[in-house]
This record gives sequence, structure tokens and C-alpha cells, in this order.
Amino acid sequence: MKTGGFSVTLIESPDIRIIGVGEGTWPTIRGSLEKIGVSETELFKQCDAAFKQGGKFAGWTTGAADDAYYHPLMLPQGFSQVNLVPHWMRSARDQSFCDFVTPQGRLCDDGLAPKTITSAEYRGAANYSYHLDAGKFAPFLAKHCTEKLGVRHVLADVVQVNQGQSGDIESVLTPQAGEISGDLWIDCSGFHALLIGKTLGVGFKDCSDVLFCDTALAVQVPFETPDAPMASQTIATAQDAGWIWDICLPTRRGVGHVYSSRHSSEEAAREALLRYIGPQHKDLPVRKIPIRSGHRETFWKNNCIAIGLAGGFLEPLESSAIVLVELSAKLLAEQMPANREVMDIVAKRFNDVTHYRWGRIIDFLKLHYVLTRRTDTAFWRDNVDPATIPERLRELLTLWKYQSPWFFDEFDRLEEVFPAASYQYVLYGMGFETEVIPEDTLDSERLASRLRQENERQTQQLRAQLPTNRELLNKIHEYGLQPV
Amino acid sequence: MTQIVTLNKEKHRSLVVDARASAAYGDSRRFVRVIVKEFPHLLVHYPILFSKNPQTGEFYCGAMLGIDEGENLFLEEWADRQFYRPLDLQRGPFYSHGPDLAIDLDDPRVGAEGGKPLFTEQGQPTKYLQSIIWAFQDLNPGVEMTKLFIARLLELKLIEPVDVEVEFDDGTSRQCVGLYTIDEEALASLPDAVVVELFRRGYMRLIHYMIASLKQVPVLARKKNSLFLKETGSLAGARAPAMG
Repeated sequence: MKTGGFSVTLIESPDIRIIGVGEGTWPTIRGSLEKIGVSETELFKQCDAAFKQGGKFAGWTTGAADDAYYHPLMLPQGFSQVNLVPHWMRSARDQSFCDFVTPQGRLCDDGLAPKTITSAEYRGAANYSYHLDAGKFAPFLAKHCTEKLGVRHVLADVVQVNQGQSGDIESVLTPQAGEISGDLWIDCSGFHALLIGKTLGVGFKDCSDVLFCDTALAVQVPFETPDAPMASQTIATAQDAGWIWDICLPTRRGVGHVYSSRHSSEEAAREALLRYIGPQHKDLPVRKIPIRSGHRETFWKNNCIAIGLAGGFLEPLESSAIVLVELSAKLLAEQMPANREVMDIVAKRFNDVTHYRWGRIIDFLKLHYVLTRRTDTAFWRDNVDPATIPERLRELLTLWKYQSPWFFDEFDRLEEVFPAASYQYVLYGMGFETEVIPEDTLDSERLASRLRQENERQTQQLRAQLPTNRELLNKIHEYGLQPV
Repeated sequence: MTQIVTLNKEKHRSLVVDARASAAYGDSRRFVRVIVKEFPHLLVHYPILFSKNPQTGEFYCGAMLGIDEGENLFLEEWADRQFYRPLDLQRGPFYSHGPDLAIDLDDPRVGAEGGKPLFTEQGQPTKYLQSIIWAFQDLNPGVEMTKLFIARLLELKLIEPVDVEVEFDDGTSRQCVGLYTIDEEALASLPDAVVVELFRRGYMRLIHYMIASLKQVPVLARKKNSLFLKETGSLAGARAPAMG
């Protein structure tokens, strides 16, 4: 990229396959893609993309047949003005928290898209991100970056890394393209962590003591008919020793069982997966993917930054890995060090923020487990063992008994990965109890009741206007979305 | 129902068509599709804006005829042919079918009392039918030219949404959504070479017609407001509409 006085070269091994588990994304990706000039229409057409409006968590609280809640992507109504949690707690427990504060759960129930064909690219009536084919998304982005943004793409294997006296990486050697030198290196070598780990010796902080899942079995399931209805929520169904993701793309579903090998044999995990997808799919090829939960102790060392799997990996709950890639890339672009002299200062900031973000993501993923009331298997029992819960999350859980997470408190960092609203959806979706003092809600009673009416009005209106996911995707493929 | 057939001078020799504008004939429309060639005629009476086809999301150019859904404030002026009536309404029950003209025999205008004949007794097209033929000679290529014009504006990011908000003396206000116009800021920052290109292609003229026609929005609002005045006998005038 020839702006700002530097150029970008991507060195990619022609032989190493991408992992491609993550087919879900977070709404930040819309801003990221729009910013780099990607056409949303092309994304839908070339990456087999579909809409994602949130997550539906089935069986995580009690494991009963009707146990499910939504973590939608829309903020609760009037979120910046009033915290609706106490109002819901006091007077609306007959309705789910999600339905009390946003239309999105009901849009998902109805299989409705978050926008219409007249909505501009990247704009919607409801907040959304994408489910997409990761195997198509990577080359799609590579093409955009080389053709539109001037990135040089070199297909070569790095066989040697040359460091200077300070430890800084000076160049890498490849059989295909010779020696390639650079001032700043981004390690995107995935689990290999070639630069940050093998070369610079930065250690790995394992967090499997908090998040137990360490293996995924992934399968691609065809639709029965090409016009079968599509869900725009990632469905995560709890199992005996993990959970199963279920993601709809226009042409197929991506399904995978994420489990803890300490709590389940591979045999049992495969059986659970097969039970979920049905016996008619018993011959589909299943890919086994190891998940080493954790992250680097430092993300930026010397002149090298680890982004993506080289920086860390967690079970694919809540699409957190891709969010961190986006946020890290954005932070780097905004903080790009002008020269070597200031690099260590920028690196320190980058490390502080990124450490904080990993910590919050781990807390947030763990939150899904610690609120369970399931005691039927060791996996769920072990998950609520206080020794496995990070201290900060334990403190918050104590605090949240008396005050609910909201706009201003606690979540003070710029660009928090998961906003307080996400914590609200999970906490109150899973039946967490926060004590409410009736007098405290008096001041905002009228506002809350107005927002509740507004939510019902908006829900009715959207239900009447929005097409189904399948209808809209077909139209996008036929006519495209307009840029404005 | 529709029953569209190719026009035939033998079969349809005695057919009459009512060419007048009327709510009963579908002229009661807030927004009607237009082609670029019509812009000079339109801009003296109507705001010319972009909107999107609700089925496909594709942009088209249209003239704004009213504020509320299904409202055309110009039916009187059209009745005595004072004002220009867009081709898409002038063409009435006629369609083009390849090189031929087709007609919807189930259209209420066809065979209506006071209708005009299409053919002379000798089987020659009447003046009325000739005007329809000319309308289609403009419309068919005009639709394509308008598409090209829009496509170039989109490429140059010159189209932006516009909120048309109008307040009336009866205390009500209207917000017309789904309308788009020229982004004047983007226009002003175009590189010189593109400005010349737009000028040479005749697009610059069209762009300025569209911008100038925005001045018809308050005129339209006052027109509607005067209807309220007639109804209520109030003396106050319409407030200037807010455009943002």
C-alpha cells in the first residue's frame, strides 16, 4: 500500500491451507469492509455470504427442550438514555429480556432479513454482520487488496528469518522469491507463529483452565432444497461436553461440534454431531480441528506484531477471533509508528490494549458457561468451579447481583470488544438475578414505558416490511445493492 | 386484469382512448418515472429526484407530483394542458412490444366515453396516435440513457439521500422518505477532467436541472397548503420546508 510513505507486502505460503472455521463475524466487519472500499454486493456474491443477526443459545441454562435465548446484535432501545434491565426485572418477566428491549429476536424467529433491497450497501433496518465462506473470503480480500489497495502479494514459503543485533527482524528468505526485507512485520502465520513465537521466542499463555473446549469437528451440510428457509442467527446448541454451532450460508450449512477432550471421547463427540445433523448425513466428511485456547504473552515485540491465530485462538463462540483481527488491524493502521524510535512506545500501547481485549473476550466467553444451572455432566459442573473463573469476572458477577452492567460503568475502554449490552443479553437470557430497589426505577418509569411501546411498534413495522433472508439474498444476487 | 395486444389498424380501427389525465386513470401518483430528455420540461414545475424501485432496489429518475402517497397536485393543470405531463403518463394504456405498439384492452381509458380515435377512417394514425408513437420514440432509448446517466453518477458517488420534510398550517408535517438527489459537495470536488467529461456527455446540464428543480419542493408544499387553506379558511401561509 503506497500511502503514508510505506508499502505492504503479503508473503503467503502457496501450500498451507487456511483454518477456515470461523464463518461468523461481528458487525464491526461492515465498517472495516466499507472503509477499505469493498462492495457489499460483491461480498454476498463471491463469498457465499448471508446475514447474521445474533446468536441463539439453546440448552445452555437448564438443558431443557425449550431452553434458549438470543444474543442479538441490536442494542436495547434507548440504551444510551436508560438501563431497561431493572424495568424488565420489575414488571415484564413474562417476556424474554431480548423481546422486551429489541425487535431482533422476533425477526430471527421469523427468518427475516435485517434490510430490504432498497437499503444501501452496509446499511440496515436492524444491525447485522455476516455468515460467510471463510475459504472464499480470504482470496476475495487478497484480490481486493492487491488490485485496489496496491498490496504486493508474494506466494512463497519462509524458510529462514534474519534478525539484527537488537533482535529486530530484518528480512526473510524464501526459495520462490529470494530475500524479502522490511521494517515492520505482521505475523499472520497462524498456529505456526513463525515470527512471534519461533523467531522472537514470545511465550503462549494457555487458558484452557478457563475455557475447556480444545477440539472441533466441522462438517458442511447441504440443504434439502435450494430454497429452504435460512436462519440469520448462529445457533449454538449445548451438548454434554461442549456445544454445536450451526451457521446458514445460501448454499449450505456449516455445522461443528466444539468439545473438551478431557470431558468427551472423539467417538462420543462424533456421535453427538451426527445426531444433530441427522443420519442422512452420516457419510459427509468431518474435519477435525485442534483448538489451543490462549494467546501470546506479548503481541508486539521488537518490530513484529502477531495478528490472527498467531496472536491467539479461542473456541469460535461469539466470533471473537475475527473481531480481534479487525480491531488489531485498525489499531495498527491508526497508530502506525513513524519510525523505529517511536515503535516501542506504540508497541507498549498496542500490547496494553490487546491484552485488555483478550482478557475481556475470555471473560465474556466464560460468562456463557458460568451461568449454567446444568449439573448433568462433569463438563458443566466443572465450568462453574470458582477456581476456573477469572478473578475479574468473579468480581463482576458479585457486583451484577446488585447493579446491572450498563453504558457508563466498567466498560470504559475505547472500542470495547463486547459492549455492556452483550453482557445484559447473556446474563438475563440465562436467568441471572439482579436485585432491584423499586424506588430506583421511579425516575425513568415513563421513559421506559415509552421505549417499550416504541419497541412493540418497531417490531410490528419491521415484521411487515422485511423480506425473508432467502428472498433478499436472491434479490441481491440478481440486482445487487446500491452503494447509497 | 390486463390484456395487452399488439395494436392492429384493422382490428382496432374504431377503438377510442381517453387521453385525459384523471385520478380514475392512475394519474394520482406522488412520484412518476421520467427520462433525462424530459428534464427541461419538468424542472419548471416539479422536483426531479431519484428513487429506488422497491422490487429491485435500482435507482430511477422521477418527478415529484405530490406530498402524500397517491397524491397528484397537478391534475387540474393537466386537465387543461397548462403543464407538461410526463411521458410515462402520457403514453396511457400503450406499451411498446419490440418495434410495435401494444395496447392494454382492459385499461379503463380504452373505449371510454369522450375518447379519441386512434385511426382515421382511411386507417391512418390520428394526431393522437402519432403523439403516442413519438412518445415511445423518446421513451425507449430514453430509459436506457437515463440508466447510463444514473450509473455514471453512482460511480462518481454523486447521489445522496435527501430528507424532504414539509410542515403545513393545519399543524401536520410530512416526511418524504426514499428520495435521493445530487450531492453538491461531491460535485464541487470532482477533478477537472471528470467535470469536462460530464459536460461533454451532456450530464452536467442534467445535474444542474436536478439541483435547480429542488426549488420546486417549497412550491409543491405551498400548493398543498393552499388546499388546506381552502378547506379550513385559514389565512396563514406555508412554512418553508426544511431540506437536509
